[in-house]
Amino acid sequence: MPELIKVDARGMACPGPISALTRAYRKAKNGDTIEVLATDPGFKPDVQAWVKRTNNELIELTEEGGVIKAVIKVTGKRG
Amino acid sequence: MKKVLILGGGGGGAILANLLPKEEFEVTVVDRDEYHVFQPGNLFIAFYGDSVEKYRRPIRSLLKPHVKLIRDEVTEVNLNDRKVKLKGDKSLEYDYIIIATGANLDFDAIEGNRELLESYGDFYSTLENAEKLYKTLKEMREGRFVIAIADPIYKCPPGPHKGAFLSSTLFERMGVDVDVVLALPFPHAYPSKTISDIIEPELEKRNIEVHTFFTVDSIDVEKKRIYSLEGEELEYTVATVIPPHEGPRYKVEPSEVKDDSNYLKIDKYTCLIEGFDDAYAIGDCTNAPTSKSGVTAHLQAEVVAERLQGFDARYSGRTNCPLITDGMGLFIISDYDHPPIPVRLSRFKRLLEDLFVATYWDAIRYPELWQPIFHAYFEATSPAKLGERGW
Ligand SMILES: Cc1cc2nc3c(=O)[nH]c(=O)nc-3n(C[C@H](O)[C@H](O)[C@H](O)COP(=O)(O)OP(=O)(O)OC[C@H]3O[C@@H](n4cnc5c(N)ncnc54)[C@H](O)[C@@H]3O)c2cc1C
Repeated sequence: MPELIKVDARGMACPGPISALTRAYRKAKNGDTIEVLATDPGFKPDVQAWVKRTNNELIELTEEGGVIKAVIKVTGKRG
Repeated sequence: MKKVLILGGGGGGAILANLLPKEEFEVTVVDRDEYHVFQPGNLFIAFYGDSVEKYRRPIRSLLKPHVKLIRDEVTEVNLNDRKVKLKGDKSLEYDYIIIATGANLDFDAIEGNRELLESYGDFYSTLENAEKLYKTLKEMREGRFVIAIADPIYKCPPGPHKGAFLSSTLFERMGVDVDVVLALPFPHAYPSKTISDIIEPELEKRNIEVHTFFTVDSIDVEKKRIYSLEGEELEYTVATVIPPHEGPRYKVEPSEVKDDSNYLKIDKYTCLIEGFDDAYAIGDCTNAPTSKSGVTAHLQAEVVAERLQGFDARYSGRTNCPLITDGMGLFIISDYDHPPIPVRLSRFKRLLEDLFVATYWDAIRYPELWQPIFHAYFEATSPAKLGERGW
């Protein structure tokens, strides 16, 4: 069963929301969705670079009231 | 007399024990090891060939005479009943407890990592393994020395970078053609972009090959390859992979006070364990959203010492992680309210780091004498003061 994994990285600067995403990604499998909330402005370009490098799919990247939300479909994990 | 029980006689536990006035507190420290280890010493052993003896002291010799020391392993902590069980079947009671047993390094979480450690040694686990790594590196004549990371949360965030810089100098001194490779889980050469921009040119200057977005997933020791979660692979001649860290494995009641990596959930300012007013956790064993470092453990120990004496002290989240190359250094300075400030590498800061190393044993044994000096330093270099101007 594909799962929705929620990561709340708001207020996290060091080691940062990408680290929180990486930790969630270790446990995820192809088909799962990871939703990350972050306030670190660097997260936007970083998550875009991350999906590209890891061959995952960015389905949503929005910002509202200083909170960045990224929704990622996991497709890039090795079997 | 208030009975204070401190689990762990490392950086955090020993300083706290020595700070509590004997007129008011009956202090007991429990540690399973005979020695207190100065962990940055791993670097000086692994890359300069220093002796193991230089970086450890019997815990007893670091504690004031009135502090009681029990050498045993903690197997269970019950915060509801205020009881601690030890492996030697003993059980202890307390009025206040402070958990300071550091981080566990899990070498079995990543396939191949234990074999790697056993073959080459490392510069994160024990001083003996650091000695082993030095011997391994001294034998290298060519190829690739890879330093990689298995989880983005590990102690001393600039540790791997220090390893890369110092090993590149070692190979240069040896006159051998070994490439140093640094693989990091982050988008840049350091979690903070500000710091990354400062050290990237230095890494380049020394021809250190940096791989970003590389979080170790598994290691094939036969093929000598490291695979990343992100889907890439790296070839090595000799490698060390900093393993996933976690909080204490022993049972803690109630179990909700641990997070899913076994870290103790604390209030990031007071260091009180969630839901308790007589139980604290400090140092590498907590979930505080700051760098796992000796400085953090030290500052948290001071906060808890104050709180136990009835003062409303709070930890600001201040970090002061040194990043050193062979001749230069800088400190990564941040707190809960400020991301790392811009800092420059300088010879002076490397000397300052050498000074900290030289004072270490004395600062543990007599924290009250060193406190005014450290406070002056922390105040003068606070992120709020240095701000964007940097240091
Ligand atoms: C290579 C390297 C370089 C570093 N460089 C720096 C630096 O430059 N600056 C800096 O600030 N920090 C640095 N650090 C990090 C620093 O060493 C740690 O963050 C610090 O030691 C944490 O202190 P602590 O008291 O939480 O834990 P520790 O110092 O790890 O002490 C924990 C103690 O608890 C004991 N213990 C554990 N489990 C049990 C049990 N079940 N029962 C009984 N006793 C137990 C252990 O024996 C140990 O004595 C570095 C670390 C490494 C590995």
